[in-house]
Amino acid sequence: MSDLQQPTSPAPAAPVRTAPVPGGAGGGPATRFEITHGPSFAMLRVDLAPGQVVSAEAGSMVARHSGVGMEVKLNAAASAGFVAKLKAFMIALIRKFVGGETFFVNHFSSPQGGSVWIAPAMAGAIAHRRMQGETLTLSTGAYMASTGDLQMRLKFGGLRSLLAKEGAFFLQITGHGDLWFNSYGGVHSVPINGPFIVDNGHLVGFEGALDYVIKGAGGGLMGLVASGEGIVCEFNGQGTVYLQSRNRSALVDWLTPLLPR
Amino acid sequence: MRYELLDTPDFGMVRAGFDQPGEALVVESGAMVARDSGVQMKTAMRGGLGSALKRKVLGGESFFQSTFTATAPGQQIYVAPGAEGDVLPLELDGSYGVLLHSGAFLAAASTVNLDTKWGGARGFFSGTGFFLLRCDGVGPLFASSYGGIHAVDVGPEGYICDNHHIVGFTQGLRYTVTKVGGLGSFFLGGEGLVCRFEGQGRLWMSTRNGRSLAAFLHPYRRVQAKN
Amino acid sequence: MQIDVGYRPAPAMARVQLAAGESIMAETGAMVGMSTNVHIQTGMGKRGIMGGLKRVFGGESFFQNTFTAQNGPGELLLAHSLCGDIVPLEMTQAGFLIQSSSYIASAPWVDIDTKVGGFKTFFGGEGLFVLKATTTHPGQILVGAFGGIQELQCDGDLVIDTGHLVCWDATLDYSVGKSAEGWIATFLSGEGLVCHFRGQGRIWIQTRNPSEYGGLVGRMLPPRKR
Repeated sequence: MSDLQQPTSPAPAAPVRTAPVPGGAGGGPATRFEITHGPSFAMLRVDLAPGQVVSAEAGSMVARHSGVGMEVKLNAAASAGFVAKLKAFMIALIRKFVGGETFFVNHFSSPQGGSVWIAPAMAGAIAHRRMQGETLTLSTGAYMASTGDLQMRLKFGGLRSLLAKEGAFFLQITGHGDLWFNSYGGVHSVPINGPFIVDNGHLVGFEGALDYVIKGAGGGLMGLVASGEGIVCEFNGQGTVYLQSRNRSALVDWLTPLLPR
Repeated sequence: MRYELLDTPDFGMVRAGFDQPGEALVVESGAMVARDSGVQMKTAMRGGLGSALKRKVLGGESFFQSTFTATAPGQQIYVAPGAEGDVLPLELDGSYGVLLHSGAFLAAASTVNLDTKWGGARGFFSGTGFFLLRCDGVGPLFASSYGGIHAVDVGPEGYICDNHHIVGFTQGLRYTVTKVGGLGSFFLGGEGLVCRFEGQGRLWMSTRNGRSLAAFLHPYRRVQAKN
Repeated sequence: MQIDVGYRPAPAMARVQLAAGESIMAETGAMVGMSTNVHIQTGMGKRGIMGGLKRVFGGESFFQNTFTAQNGPGELLLAHSLCGDIVPLEMTQAGFLIQSSSYIASAPWVDIDTKVGGFKTFFGGEGLFVLKATTTHPGQILVGAFGGIQELQCDGDLVIDTGHLVCWDATLDYSVGKSAEGWIATFLSGEGLVCHFRGQGRIWIQTRNPSEYGGLVGRMLPPRKR
């Protein structure tokens, strides 16, 4: 096993902002893991027990011990029927080429155990959640890795959501196990108790008794086109919304005037 | 207006709370993250039609701004820039003004005056479409940068800063734009234009350069189909 | 010279304090700011004209500037082009192998060799290459990462995605291969090429992958003309 050493100088003491973890045990033995380099460039290391399988979003592996094997699978629930699997495969293939989250996952496991290091593509934090039967909805692109017995369903966000560059789907997750999700930037939980508007690109996920409507940012047609604000999600009800402090579309808008001709 | 800075210095985001209905925050287009639905949004062209068109023609940044106005006390809004980096809050109190790189403007209370300063800035960011924004008045002003924001107090010996790393500086500093090291360095050395500051004041620099990131990403762009 | 790094980890910037007459060699475009008495000379590195040309043909412009403090001590601020941590490393007997875009600066007597064989397919043809840094005198070298920098101790063997490599001790054996069994699986897995390390030594990895980031964001940018 390798030793991990922190870089020689201490990182700035910024508080780690992660989603709140509901307490308690249950759902299988606790997975050994460590999140380092948060909150800006977080990386996850999972120390696999012999035979334990961790699924991770395709493309997210940084390093692994040679003894840890990698198998490519579709991220469909194990008990899904053929049609669901075919649908998942088509969506996965489409997203692979369109550039969203692929829904191909890699399964890492080793008969003798070993470590695997996982990181997302964008800068930001990784949050851990021990799922205990509750339901959490994530934006696609926020899912990073999981282990245990979790069921995942793709939910279509409605026709207007197709306009959103970030994608038209949400991932609804329930079950028992460990879930790791990432954010572009830091992740912040905001308790909701009334109508609240979130820019779609800044949405990591949500949970609770919330209704949502996807719409243009407001200000009419002029507002939609000119304001630079993209698609927003208006929530109502009681629950929690998770925001990220950066947004890929805004990054693109900021970069575009700086590009060489 | 109250405010709190979150996720600084790497992904700075501002959470502002309005105290009174009618209080307003002027925000760079595209920077709104989330808000209470009761906060009203209005999009307008910044600074009048003439200057807005001037900027659009130069290919600089978008000429729209959004104004968010509270309709009840206690409403909140979250605002973040597109670039990864820090947010600098400046409390303007009427006694000093600040010149900001136009790309560094994130948000300001509607009580702050924003003015595009053309004359003295000729050649400053020439060819880039960016310009200097003069800010004065009273109220909070938020600047953002790609990377961290490093402040230097400029004294009698002056300071040299690469042009692409300027976030802003206090009004009153004298500045001259020069090429570094002669023609050879200009092309090969990569340090093109630099700005030499003199006088008494404060200079804010970014620790990263958006052009370098854009140049890095350029080969990854899809190639335009010929037609 | 005295190097300290501030604003870690993301927009890290190194402040180099040079004594009068001291120099440091740094990559093109790394300067953020400096005191007025620092003089820049564009050199082609220690290998002269041939060294400079080799770097151009290697796919990246790798001109180095020499910054010298004149008539007194001077200060120089250096930064990496991507957002990430910067780490100063002490040169060792064996030296380091460095992924080309991670190099920022080094003491002027450190030899940087751009012609390191066996890496043609290392980074999938993206114009990245591997540098070898060696020296006969102690000195420092500055490397920058995309993301945070993690030092791993290789104690046998380790498999690392090539996009996450910053630099490693030249004492390690390495070979490049596909990450999964078969090409289709490799494509679907999203993983690119990996490097198998064997032996004893340190490997510095970055917690983000520039080509993955480039592909993801580059696709969203307006298309280019050529």
